[in-house]
Amino acid sequence: MAVPRGRAAWRGRLGTGEVAVGAAPDASRMLQLALAGVWLLDGVLQYQSFMFTKAFGQMLAATAAGNPGVIASPINWDTRLIEHHAVALNAIFATIQLLLGLGIACRPTVRAALGASIAWALAVWWFGEGLGGVLNGTASPVNGAPGAVIIYALLAVLLWPTDRGATTAPFTAARAVGAPAARALWLVLWLSQAYFALQPANRAPQALHDMIAGMASGEPGWLNAIERNAAALVAHQGLAASFVLAIALAAIAVGVYLPAPAARAAVVLAVVVAAVIWVVGEAFGTILAGGATDPNSGLLLILLALVYWPARTGPVPRSLGQSVAGHPAEGIPT
Amino acid sequence: MTIPAGILDIFAAIMLVVAAVSAARLVVARPWQRGRGAATADIDIAHLLMAIAMAGTLAAGLRTLPNDAWDVIFAVLTAWFAYHVTQDARRAGIRALSGGHCAPHLVHSAAMLYMFVAVTAPAAGGGAAMSGMGGSGTQTLSLPILAFLFALILIGYSIWDLDQLSGPGASGHYSLAARIAPAGAVLAGTPALAGAESPAAAFSGLPSAGSPTSAGSPTSAGSPTSAGSPTSAGSPTSAGSPTSAGSPTSAGNTVATVTPPAEADRAASCDPDPVSGGAGRLVLAPWVATSCRIAMGITMALMLIIMI
Repeated sequence: MAVPRGRAAWRGRLGTGEVAVGAAPDASRMLQLALAGVWLLDGVLQYQSFMFTKAFGQMLAATAAGNPGVIASPINWDTRLIEHHAVALNAIFATIQLLLGLGIACRPTVRAALGASIAWALAVWWFGEGLGGVLNGTASPVNGAPGAVIIYALLAVLLWPTDRGATTAPFTAARAVGAPAARALWLVLWLSQAYFALQPANRAPQALHDMIAGMASGEPGWLNAIERNAAALVAHQGLAASFVLAIALAAIAVGVYLPAPAARAAVVLAVVVAAVIWVVGEAFGTILAGGATDPNSGLLLILLALVYWPARTGPVPRSLGQSVAGHPAEGIPT
Repeated sequence: MTIPAGILDIFAAIMLVVAAVSAARLVVARPWQRGRGAATADIDIAHLLMAIAMAGTLAAGLRTLPNDAWDVIFAVLTAWFAYHVTQDARRAGIRALSGGHCAPHLVHSAAMLYMFVAVTAPAAGGGAAMSGMGGSGTQTLSLPILAFLFALILIGYSIWDLDQLSGPGASGHYSLAARIAPAGAVLAGTPALAGAESPAAAFSGLPSAGSPTSAGSPTSAGSPTSAGSPTSAGSPTSAGSPTSAGSPTSAGNTVATVTPPAEADRAASCDPDPVSGGAGRLVLAPWVATSCRIAMGITMALMLIIMI
C-alpha cells in the first residue's frame, strides 16, 4: 500500500485529499448520475436569455399545431401564460430542472427526485413538446421523436433504486421493472421510431435532406460543414434513407430479446445510431447555436442504450457482490 | 433581451458567499503561521479568486479586476494545478486524473481562463471586458464547443461531488462529520464518517449503530486509530505504533485512511490549538470546501452555457 507523504499526506489529514477510499457507485448509480447531469444541463440551458423572452412561449405554441383539440388547447393556454409571465415562469422552470439534477445526485433524495422528474417530464412532454409530434405526423427519429423529455421519464423508471436483482438482472434496466417489462419498453420505443421513420412526411425524397440542412444554421463552421455534407449525402434519397434507418431501428428493437452477444451488438448499434442522430440530425440539440432547451434525444438514447447493456452473469466475486449489494466494499482499503 | 439581472445577482450572491467562506477558511487555518493549512491554501485561494471573478462577471454593479489581471491569475492557477495533477499522475497513475484532488481544480481554473480569454465583444459594442452579464449586449465565447465541453465536465464533477458527499462511504474531502469531530481529528484527516452505514448517519454525523468506533467520538473521531485521540496523537510513544495515527488498520467496513504516523504526530504536535471554537471547525470541515466547489462548478457551467 502506497503511503502518501508530504503534500499528499497533508491533504489527507486536512480532509481535502483522496487518500481515503471513497464510495464506488455501481452501474445503476453511475447511470443515475448521468441522468442527473443531463437534468442539470437542462436547467442551465433553461437560464439562457432567449428563454426569458416571449419567443420561448411562441416556440412552445408551435407544438400545438396539428394536434387534436384536447391536446392542443392546454398547450395554447400554457403558452399564453408563459408569454405573459416569461421571466418568473422560466426562472421557476429552470430552477426545477436544476433541483431535479441535484436531487438525483444527492443519495437521500434520489427517489423523490426521480419521482418528481417523471411527473415533470410528462408535463413537459405534453405542454412543452406537444407529445413529441406523435399525433400530428411530424415526429421523426432524426429530429427527436417521440420527444426527448419522455426518455427522461423512461430513464427515471428504469433507474429507480432497488436492491432487487442487483447481481442477477441481465441488464441494469431489468432491476427496477423486471426483464420482461424492460424489454417491452425498449421494443416499443425503438419500433415506434422505426414506424416514424417510414411516415410519408419523413420518406419524401427531400425530407431528410431538408431536416438535416435546416440544422446547419447558426452552428459553428465545423458542425455546419458536417450538416451540409450529410444533407448532401441524402439529397433525393429520402425513401432509401428512411428504409435503411427503419431497418436499423427495428433490429435494435428486437436485439434485446436475442442472446447476450447479439444483444450487445444491438446495444452498440443503438449507441451508434443515437450518436449519429445526435450529431447529424440534431446538431447536439443546437446547444452550440444557442437557444436550446435541452440536448435533444440523441444523448438520452445513448444513455438509455447503456441501461440495457447486458451484464456479465455467473459467479460474482465476494468483494464485487458486497459492493453491488450494499456498502461494505466501500471500506476495503486498496 | 438579456437574462434578468435579479437572477444573475442571485448567482453572484452565491459566489460572494463562496468567496467569504473561502476567505474564512484561510483566516481560520492561518496557513502563514507554522505552515499549518498551507497544503490546502492553494485550493481556498483558488476558490476565493474564482468566486470573486464570477461574481464580478455576473453582477452588473460589481467591479473587480481588469480582464488582463484575471487572465494572468487564472493562467497561473491553471499552471499550478496542472503541475500538481502531473505530480499526482506520476505518483498514483491515471487514477489521479479522475479521482485526484487537483484535477477538478485544474478544470475549474482552465474553464475560468478560457472564459476570460475567449470572451468576445457584445454585438452592441463596448469592448470585450467581461463585467456584468446583465448589462446591455450579450457576451459570447469564441470556440463554443470548448464552452460546451467545459460545462459538461464541470457538471460531471459537481454531480460526482454531490453523490460522494451524500454517500454512505463519504470520506476524505467528502467527509461531513468533521463538523462534530475534534479539531485535531479534522486536521489529522481521519475519516470521521468511517463506520457510518447510512446517508442519514453521514449527514447527521451521528454514531452509526454497530460501528466499532463511531464518528464523532471524542476519542476516536471515526477512526479505530485516530490522530486526534489524546492517547495516540502527539504522544512520543505512539509514533509508528500500529495503533497510532496513520496506521493502515481498518476495522470492519470502515473507510481506510492512510496517514503516515510521523506526519500525523507532527501535525498534532504543531497544532496545540488548531482551531478555536465550533465555528472554526465548521468552516474548516471538508464538506464546506466541497460544497463551495459544487456551487462554483454549477455557476461556472451556467456562465459558459449562457455565453455560447
